[in-house]
Amino acid sequence: MPSSSEDLGEQIVALLPRLRRFARALAGSVHDADDLVHVAVERALSRSHQLRSEAELPRWLFGILRNAWIDETRVRSRRNRVLAPAELGAQVADPAGKDHAEALSVQEAMARLPDEQREVVGLVLVEGLSYREAAELMNVPIGTVTSRLARGRDALQEMLGPEPEEHQ
Amino acid sequence: MTFSDEVLMAYADGELDATTRAQVQQAIGADPELARRVAAHAKLRSALRSSFDPVLDERIPGHLLAAARSKPREAARRGNVPLPRGAARPWLQWGSLAASFVLGALAWQLGMRTMQSGPIMERGGKLLASGELARALSVQLAHEQSTAAAVQIGVSFRSRTAQYCRTFLLRDREQLAGLACREGEQWQLEMLARNGAPVAGPNAYRQAASALPPALVQAVSDMISGEPLDAQAEATARARQWRAPPSITSP
Repeated sequence: MPSSSEDLGEQIVALLPRLRRFARALAGSVHDADDLVHVAVERALSRSHQLRSEAELPRWLFGILRNAWIDETRVRSRRNRVLAPAELGAQVADPAGKDHAEALSVQEAMARLPDEQREVVGLVLVEGLSYREAAELMNVPIGTVTSRLARGRDALQEMLGPEPEEHQ
Repeated sequence: MTFSDEVLMAYADGELDATTRAQVQQAIGADPELARRVAAHAKLRSALRSSFDPVLDERIPGHLLAAARSKPREAARRGNVPLPRGAARPWLQWGSLAASFVLGALAWQLGMRTMQSGPIMERGGKLLASGELARALSVQLAHEQSTAAAVQIGVSFRSRTAQYCRTFLLRDREQLAGLACREGEQWQLEMLARNGAPVAGPNAYRQAASALPPALVQAVSDMISGEPLDAQAEATARARQWRAPPSITSP
């Protein structure tokens, strides 16, 4: 447990770049991603008593961010059932996506992954967590991580084509 | 030897045990197709990194730095009250701004003396329900409470952070209304507001919460996960002493 809230605040500041990167992988747009980080930081500070050691801080924060994202996607899906499609605009995935697959950037391809595959890809391939760390953070068996990651990779490779780095 | 794509993927990610790794390595040497598939996994990984790593070098928005450096605990000690959670999204902001304003004003009006001996106490930088209010929050069921009771329970619901939360009305305190969520063995106050005019306009919680100030209704709608508890769910929650069911993880 950090010795004071000021220390904790500065430690969170030091992690903001990584939190923003993970959020970008989850949420797509800069604005939505930073909103998520903001929510996560506020939640973390209001629950700092739950943090057991400084060493846990990065994963604890990633977990809070991930849960905030899940809350957000739940709220969004509930709103999507209520709001007219016109109000949702860009939030709706493009169903004709595959028609112009060759033009997709890596970030666009990520945004088209199903949520549960996107979070695993974000944790393991973007953030560099081990399968076990990702499984603990998501509270799922490690086999679930492996299978979601394999499916996410397949989908990304299909969307990006054989030479993904040339498109980004 | 053949390997599943998951094994090749795990190889590319450095996740295999030494024995399997050696087997895959050997097979790759003998089979260009295997080598190509492993390389594709590694390429995708580096494509993702090179796509998202530039975020690390971006300038961090000021509102994030400010959020990380804010000191909710110390603010609470001075008599202001923590913002409700999840305040960042634009459509949540109004509720939290209103909440902090209303809470600050009420904390000032009630004075810390009231807070230490009355229905609300301050402990460790948090505002907690105490006395009659705490008892009513823990025990009273909305559908069987007496309309004469000093504390009226309004809506009970599960929050998006998987806690149980309940709105209440304190009759004898100038109709003070509030929202409290279960934190461990305590009820932590998320919001207080003076009860004003009934909520105007259509709102999903209007019927159950018609006596609640608009800011409070807004807070409920920002925090709620799913629907408000019905009478049976409320009784079940009380029976488990308002401990959050384990279905949703919340680190």
